[in-house]
Amino acid sequence: MIANNRNNDISSHVRSEANAWLVACIIVGGLSGAYMLYQLMTVGHASFNTSSDGINWGLPIAAYVFFALTSSGLTMIASLATVFGFEQFYPIVKRCIWVAIVTLVAGFSVLAFELGHPFRMLWAMPTGMQVMSPMFWMGVFYLIDLVLLIIKFYLIVQEDWHSSFSRLIGIAGFVAVILASGMLGLLFGSVAMRPMWFGSFTSIYYMLTAALSGAAAIVVTTYMAFDFDSRNMPANLRAFAEGDQMPKVFATLIGITLVMILTRMWTGLWSNLDGLEGFHVLVKSPLFWVELLFGLVLPFWMMLQPGMQTRVVPQMTAAFLVLGGMAINRYEFIVSGQVVPMFKGTWVNSLEPYFPSMTEWAMAVFGLAVALGGYAIGEKMFRLSAAPAHEESGKLAGASA
Amino acid sequence: MAKWGMVIDLEKCVGCQACTIACGMENTRLPGEHWQDVIFFQEGEYPNTEIKWFPRPCMHCENPSCVAVCPVRATYKSEDGQVLIDWERCIGCKYCMIACPYGVRFYTEEKARYGGPNMKDVFPSNDAHSWNPPWRMPQEDWKHGVGVQPHDVVSKCTFCYHRVSKAPKGTVDLDPQNPATREFTPACVVTCPTGARFFGDLANPDSEVNKQIAYKNGVRLLDHLGNKPQVYYLTGEGGSVPATRSIKKI
Ligand code: SF4
Ligand code: SF4
Repeated sequence: MIANNRNNDISSHVRSEANAWLVACIIVGGLSGAYMLYQLMTVGHASFNTSSDGINWGLPIAAYVFFALTSSGLTMIASLATVFGFEQFYPIVKRCIWVAIVTLVAGFSVLAFELGHPFRMLWAMPTGMQVMSPMFWMGVFYLIDLVLLIIKFYLIVQEDWHSSFSRLIGIAGFVAVILASGMLGLLFGSVAMRPMWFGSFTSIYYMLTAALSGAAAIVVTTYMAFDFDSRNMPANLRAFAEGDQMPKVFATLIGITLVMILTRMWTGLWSNLDGLEGFHVLVKSPLFWVELLFGLVLPFWMMLQPGMQTRVVPQMTAAFLVLGGMAINRYEFIVSGQVVPMFKGTWVNSLEPYFPSMTEWAMAVFGLAVALGGYAIGEKMFRLSAAPAHEESGKLAGASA
Repeated sequence: MAKWGMVIDLEKCVGCQACTIACGMENTRLPGEHWQDVIFFQEGEYPNTEIKWFPRPCMHCENPSCVAVCPVRATYKSEDGQVLIDWERCIGCKYCMIACPYGVRFYTEEKARYGGPNMKDVFPSNDAHSWNPPWRMPQEDWKHGVGVQPHDVVSKCTFCYHRVSKAPKGTVDLDPQNPATREFTPACVVTCPTGARFFGDLANPDSEVNKQIAYKNGVRLLDHLGNKPQVYYLTGEGGSVPATRSIKKI
C-alpha cells in the first residue's frame, strides 16, 4: 500500500516535470524551427555556410549523424536485455526504445531540412533502386529500424515483453540497427577520395561509438526523469541505477572509443597520403582536445573509480560529458574529412575554413528540441520506467527486504 | 554506341581561360560556377618555381563514383558515355559532390561566389528556375542537366550534351574545323584558340582522340582512384598533370 502510494506520487511528479520539459521544448523548438523555416523560405540553402568549394556537408549533417547514432546506440543497450538476456537491464528497456524512436525522428527531421528536395526522396529512392549507394541502404535500414522500434514499443506498452514474437522483433531490430549504423559508417567509409573517412574501420567506429552515445543518453534521460535523484525512482530502477552494471558498460564503451580515436589519429598523423592533412588541422583545434580530455578521458577515469560509479552526480556528469564529447566528435569527423578541398579552381584555399551559420545552429537546436520534447511526451504518457511484471515485483521485494 | 571523350593537350594550352568563359556563356552559368575551370598552381619552391595551369572539366568517368553513390539515380551514365544529372530526380543530398574526386560539381543554392551583386538577386526567378538571366541559353532539358538550373539540385559539365547528342549517329570526331561537325562540338573545344582540345569517340580506334592519346602518351588525372576519366591529358614537354589534389594554389 505504502509502496503503491509512493509509486503514484512518483508518477505524478514525473508527469509534472515532463510537462515543464515539454513546454520548454515547444518554446525552444518553436523559436529555432521558426527561424530556420524563415531562413529556408526567404534565403534558402544559401543561408548555410557550406559551399561547393569546400565543406559540402556541415553542422546539420553532423547533427543528423549524432541523433541517428544515439538512436542506434539506445537500441543496442535495450538489446542487452531483450536479445542477449541480461535481465538486470530491463528497467531501462522501455525508456531506451522510446528515446531511440524520438532521437531517430529528430535526426530525420534535421536531415529533411538539410536536403534540397526531401519529398522527392519518397518516390525517387524506390523507383531508382540504386543498390550501389550506401546512402540508399542507410535510408532502407533506418526506415526498417524505425518501424521495428515502433512495433516493439507498442508490444511493450501492451505488456508483451517476452513473447516469441516480441523477442523476434527485438532481434530483428538489433540486426537492423547494426546494419543501419554500419551503413551510415559505410556512407563515409566508401569514398576513397576522402581519405580521412575511407576504410572499413569507419563502419566499426560508427557502430561502437553509437553504443557509447546510447549509453550516455540513457543515463542522462533516466536521471532527468527523476529530478536527478535516485531516491525518486521505483525500487527496481533505483537498484539498477545504484548498481555498477551500467557504469561498467559505460566505462568499457568509453575505453573502446578512446582506443579507436587513438588508432585513427596515429595512422592519420603518420601517413602522408594526399588529403590526410585534415588530421594535422584536427590536433591543432581546441575543440578536438575538449572532446578528448573532457568528453572521454575524464568520464572514463570517473567511471573507473568504485567510489564514483554508483553515485548519481558523477554518473550524470560523466554521461553529460560523453554526450557533449560525442556531439563534438560527429562534427569534427564530418568537417575535418572535407577541409582539404578537391580540385576546386584557382581561388580556393588549400584548407577550407568553416563555421556553421545561424540557420545551421538553429537546425541543430531544433533537432535537440524535437528529441527532448518527444522524450517528455513519452514520460508523460507511457510510464517509461516500467519493467516486466515479475521483474518489477521481484526487484521491489528484494529492495525492500 | 559512342563513348565520348576529350583530349586536352597541355603543351598547346596557354591558360587563356577562353574555355571557361565559353562554357559559362554556352550553359548560362553563374559567375564562379565554372563547369570548366582552369586551375593555376605553382610547382617547386622559391626561387625554382614554375607557374602551371590545368584545365579541368567533368571527367565523365568510365567508372564514376558520383553515379554509384547517388541514392536516387539522379546522376547517371548515358548510353553515349556522358555522365549527366536528372534535375527532376536530384534530392540535393550532395553525396555526389563528396564522392567526385575532381571537385567538378556545384550546388545551386549557395552564397554568391564572388563579391559584388548576387546575380540570383539581380535577376530573380518567378518560377522553378533558380534565377532568370537575360542571356539564357535557348535549350532547356532538365532530364539531362541542361539549361538554367532549378532550385536545390547539383550541376556540372554535361560535355555539352545539347550539342553532342545532335551529332549524326556514327560520327567519330567532333572537329570544330569541320563545318559539318562544328555545331555539335562542345563549346570549350570550339572556342579553344590554340586547338588544344579534341573531342571524339574513344570506342573507335581510328578516332582523332585515340590517335592523340597514343602518339603523345595521354594520361588521366588521379588515375589511382579508379574512376577512369574519359578526359585525357597530353603533357608533352611543357605540361604536367598534378599528381595530388593538394596542389599549391597561387
Ligand atoms: S569527374 Fe566527378 S562528376 Fe564527373 S563523372 Fe567523374 S566522378 Fe562524376
Ligand atoms: S545531390 Fe542529387 S545528383 Fe548528387 S547524389 Fe544527391 S541526389 Fe544524386
